[in-house]
Amino acid sequence: MNFRRYLLRKTVYVIITIFFIASLNFLLFQVIAGDPTYVLLPRGCGTSNVTGECPLRAALIHEWALDQPLIVRFATYLRNVFSGNLGTSITYQTGVPVATIIAPRLWTTLILVGVATATTMWLGIILGRISGWRRGRPADVIITLSTLFGYSMPSFWVSLLLIFSLSVTIRIFPVYWDFGAYARMDLLSTVLDYMWHLILPVATFVITNVAWFSLTLRNSLTDVLPEDYMITARAKGLSQGQQLRWHALPNARLPLVTASALYFGWVVSGAIVIEIVFTIQGLGQLTWEATTAFDFPLLSGIFLIATIGVVVANAMADVLYMFLDPRVREA
Amino acid sequence: MGETTVVGRRYSLLRERLSHDIERFRKFAAVLIKNRLAFAGIAIIVLFSVISFGAPLLVGPYPTQLQRTDDNLPPSSAHWLGTDWEGFDLLTLLVYGGQISLIIGFSASIVAMVLGTAVGVFGGFYGGITDLILARMTDFFLVIPWLPFVLVLVIILTPSLPTIILAIAIVSWPSTARVIRSQVLTVKERQFIERSRAIGARPGFIVRKHIIPNVMPLVWAEAVLTVSNSVFTEAFLSFFGLGASGPDVIKSWGVLVNESYVHLALVQGHWWYFGPPGLFITVVVLGFAMLGYGLEEIMNPALKRR
Repeated sequence: MNFRRYLLRKTVYVIITIFFIASLNFLLFQVIAGDPTYVLLPRGCGTSNVTGECPLRAALIHEWALDQPLIVRFATYLRNVFSGNLGTSITYQTGVPVATIIAPRLWTTLILVGVATATTMWLGIILGRISGWRRGRPADVIITLSTLFGYSMPSFWVSLLLIFSLSVTIRIFPVYWDFGAYARMDLLSTVLDYMWHLILPVATFVITNVAWFSLTLRNSLTDVLPEDYMITARAKGLSQGQQLRWHALPNARLPLVTASALYFGWVVSGAIVIEIVFTIQGLGQLTWEATTAFDFPLLSGIFLIATIGVVVANAMADVLYMFLDPRVREA
Repeated sequence: MGETTVVGRRYSLLRERLSHDIERFRKFAAVLIKNRLAFAGIAIIVLFSVISFGAPLLVGPYPTQLQRTDDNLPPSSAHWLGTDWEGFDLLTLLVYGGQISLIIGFSASIVAMVLGTAVGVFGGFYGGITDLILARMTDFFLVIPWLPFVLVLVIILTPSLPTIILAIAIVSWPSTARVIRSQVLTVKERQFIERSRAIGARPGFIVRKHIIPNVMPLVWAEAVLTVSNSVFTEAFLSFFGLGASGPDVIKSWGVLVNESYVHLALVQGHWWYFGPPGLFITVVVLGFAMLGYGLEEIMNPALKRR
């Protein structure tokens, strides 16, 4: 299949999926949640003007057509969302557009998730290579069991344990995300300080998610190693490292990309909890705040952004897969 | 006289049938125990079920408001794990906590299995446009990140035991549906299906008599894995403060970790508060996962090579 045509098809697919996500969001928050004038509007305007005329309420009713029939509301909702209006916060920061609240938080989360994914993948490949090559030996058993144990641990609990042992008992790492508390710092110290604060959250990520990559690589190596070309490689006298690097890994790499596709959904879920425990001011922390404040428009906006993010990341992984696999690329 | 022989024959038939089932179960149990992964999983599950549901015998009745002592006590001979922020004995709470985690895990898994199997069998067997729509729907729900989804569901439906179970089931059915669908697709092509169709069996009959019995073993393996995921998801929900709560409701392990976090056990260094419940969650999740993988291995020996 033509690469450009594939790209086009994928784009159309993503757009359709985003449309369905928006519809699901509408269904959840405007139909299942109950009366939208109760759920999606601020309760009165401040303390003194509870019963009187309320400009924000009136404006929001008009903006989202909340006094109109369901089908009009749905059309209005789609129009608003696809023109970038995600709603208006009702309790967390009353009157502020949801998009304005989410935008700065998104960057913090993206950096955290990016650094964490890169680290997890790197370590996962190293561990997977060892245990795939030494299948059934003690090294493999130890790696497989410990990564599976890490995978079974709830990330909030791992965060608590790490903070307790390395920030509270032995004071090596910061307890709170007080990054930027010292205003006058040059660029280098700022970056170093940021990394300093990132170490424990990233470690939590690695512990709870490394099994994704190490086990996938182990299993695909197991499939590759008995192949004929591996026997040829050994027969022509390549060292173990060369066999692995030149013949085994390039073929075992592909399932890794597929694994990473499902991994994004997990990462978002993991990031939310890790941010809460480490008080990182990202999207996850915001989810917690929106939940405790019952700020439904804000929650709806976060849900929409997080889901779209995962869909886009998945599509990108698919395209990468296409790019990496010559059989698919040239077929 | 004649009647007694009929009864006797029926009785012997029943016994034969029963002994046949028992024999089958014994064979299955033997295979199960031989699989080390599955056996370790079963041991963990049985141990924690006995501890949780035998709680009244182990630590006495669930504490009432009258049994409160000083709050936030460190471990001592009277309170092995200290007391919580309200002054309840933490060991008692810990032992009881498994009940809620396990009940939610099992119930959510049952609901998810019914949903997932129905979608998988229906789509896989009937094919065509039905299958296309159901498969796309499965893919769609599979891609939504589970934690934000389950949070939104629970907060919209207002948190309580039934809504939490329902929300977890809604998040977990797609992976089952996908696995079952692909199994149905292979079973459907087997010869005996074609034969039974040739002698005039209706689709509903084939599904009930041939398809479902043939995918059932896989459903069981999936169900066990889903229990593992459900216990895990419940812990996250509880940590978010969306667990089943109330003065009379038993606190789950997740709720205990949440309360320890909210009441600053971390900065005060009270590891005995948040440590044990988290460990119990981990071990139970691991136990169900091990049994699930073990069952898959038994049913599909090709996996064992891995």
